[in-house]
Amino acid sequence: MTGALPVALGNYVALASVMFFIGVVGVLVRRNPLVMLMSIELMFNAANVLFMAFARAWLQNAGQIFAFLVITVAAAEAAIGLAIVVAVFRSAATVDVDEVRSLHG
Amino acid sequence: MNPYGPVALYLCVAFAAALLFSVLPGLVARRKPNPEKAEAYECGVEPTSAVAGRFPVRFYLIAMLFVIFDVEAASFYPWAVQMHALRIYGLLEMIVFIIVLGIGYAYVWKKGGFAWR
Amino acid sequence: MILNPFGTADWMAIAPIVALAIASLLVLLADLVARPAISRYGAVAIGLLGTAAAAVLAAMQYGHVYAAFFGGFVTGGFTTVFEEIVAIALAGSLALYATLGDPKRIGGTVALMLWGSCGAMLMAGAANLMTIFLGLELLSLALYCLCGMVDRRGARESALKYLILSSTASGFLLFGMALLFGASGSVLLADLARPQLAANPLFWMGSGLFLIGLAFKMSLVPFHAWAPDVYEGAPLPVTAYMSVATKAATLAVFARVLYAALPAGTASHVMLPVWIVAGISMIAGNVGMLAQHDLKRLLAYSGIAQVGYILTAMAGGSALGLRYAIYYLVAYTFMNLGAFAVATAISGEHEEGARLVSYAGLARRRPWLAAAMTFFMLALAGMPPTAGFLGKILILATSADSGYAWLGGLLVAGTAISLYAYAKVVRAMYLPQSGDHHVADLRPIAPLAWISVTLCLIGVIAMTFYPLTPSNVLPLLR
Repeated sequence: MTGALPVALGNYVALASVMFFIGVVGVLVRRNPLVMLMSIELMFNAANVLFMAFARAWLQNAGQIFAFLVITVAAAEAAIGLAIVVAVFRSAATVDVDEVRSLHG
Repeated sequence: MNPYGPVALYLCVAFAAALLFSVLPGLVARRKPNPEKAEAYECGVEPTSAVAGRFPVRFYLIAMLFVIFDVEAASFYPWAVQMHALRIYGLLEMIVFIIVLGIGYAYVWKKGGFAWR
Repeated sequence: MILNPFGTADWMAIAPIVALAIASLLVLLADLVARPAISRYGAVAIGLLGTAAAAVLAAMQYGHVYAAFFGGFVTGGFTTVFEEIVAIALAGSLALYATLGDPKRIGGTVALMLWGSCGAMLMAGAANLMTIFLGLELLSLALYCLCGMVDRRGARESALKYLILSSTASGFLLFGMALLFGASGSVLLADLARPQLAANPLFWMGSGLFLIGLAFKMSLVPFHAWAPDVYEGAPLPVTAYMSVATKAATLAVFARVLYAALPAGTASHVMLPVWIVAGISMIAGNVGMLAQHDLKRLLAYSGIAQVGYILTAMAGGSALGLRYAIYYLVAYTFMNLGAFAVATAISGEHEEGARLVSYAGLARRRPWLAAAMTFFMLALAGMPPTAGFLGKILILATSADSGYAWLGGLLVAGTAISLYAYAKVVRAMYLPQSGDHHVADLRPIAPLAWISVTLCLIGVIAMTFYPLTPSNVLPLLR
């Protein structure tokens, strides 16, 4: 194993950047908290792609461990996000963040 | 020419045509919207509710708990692969992990997180 | 080749965190066994015992360098100081929670506070990117839940808002970490200090995104909009906890990156945006305070400015600056917790203490509380007889020394603006009010809240006379 990647490293960086950008735009543009959570997951997974690509390029397992850690954290985050969305839904009967407005934000 | 060349050409043409036909109406057509037209068409009947119906919040709760325990179970794989190399330390560490997870599980159970009511 | 990943040094290093985790599990178990649920004081007692154990264990590590998890967690003077700050914040807010907590959810809330503190302590000693991320997420995830654990609609909405904004910031931070990993091929912070990285574009992009994430968590100005809303929505004890623990933990990470993880000569370039943003925060935070009628919102804006002061101390990257930053952070911990303790002491079911109207005429009803609140407000404003004043003087001196006098100037300007806002609270307590409509609801004395007020008062006063600036912090940072 030489550590050479079948696809050039730059392509992975480009893919991850595009994923990350889509995630950021999703958070900014979409108003449904569930979709926003999905966009955030996309941002996390863009980082995961980078971690895996760099782990291979540098032959460093740390990147793979990091990606694993991120998956676990993202799952916990999704679960908590879902719980909070349900809690808001129960008290407000809407899941549109533009209607979540009793705070002055 | 590469044997797949025509296929690529065909794809390009198809894509361009599709793009053209979806953009062109917006540029050319005259638009006179009225409430009747703007309405979603459902067999001539006025839609009465949102398309994606609501379903019970219990599904969300189950999905939520599933996601957590699913990923925690995935945490066992790295240990399983390296079980012999990690020896007793790995085993002890996983026992601690399971205890923590088990307390969480018991807590959810006691608080009625799994009850389908 | 497999090393022994769980040697004794590792256990010694994370002993305080383990103590908190065990306490948290005990609270959950006690909640399971008790019928119908754990009592308020029972849960808080277990939590406080765990906190005390963690504080003692952390203090025992002072000056001993243990490196756990292959260098991912390092103890020493720096880590101990920040762990103690987290412990103080945790103990203070647990005490407030015992006074004000929602009896239905006591077990879960106390357990979450303890887990969140595990995360904050992990950040205090984090020496690689993985530990930073893990600690940060552990703290943040606990806080999302804590914010939403009340039956008020505002609280749940603030939790949702906090979750989405803060997770986005985590995404930036994480992507930055991935790029930094790509640049250096290592997750260790120490490896980021290699000089050849200065020419790598991945390093610059990565550190930029990483700093955006940190700036959000520190609620610096372009990323501060969440703080007032989240502080307002969250329950009072949680707000108290959040305002101190999150800042302390994030500042610990920031300080470690600044002092130990940048290639030589790049610090002034990489960090320049942070200093600018810190300067803007000092002005904008203090201006934002002027319009507030809610104590929690007021203290949120105040916190935005205070982080700016602390960053001003670090701006030169000098050892002395770090010591002064820590000094000011400790003083801020006491005065901020003290203000929240006073608010709790005059609060009942509906958190009356969060609204400034409740302070009208407090000087006649509860003269001692009013005096304490005045003292805390003076300290937050940085007025002479308090630790806040001493801290600001030290920060001004170091910023002038290190060539960041413009930050010092902004600090002075910000302080001048803030005086009016802090004085508003004091004036409400002492000036006779025309319609004294709140005189009737005089709360019974809540012992734990009063004890917290007293201890914070002692803390602030002690900081004035015995300036605690740990001298051997910097060598232990790496």
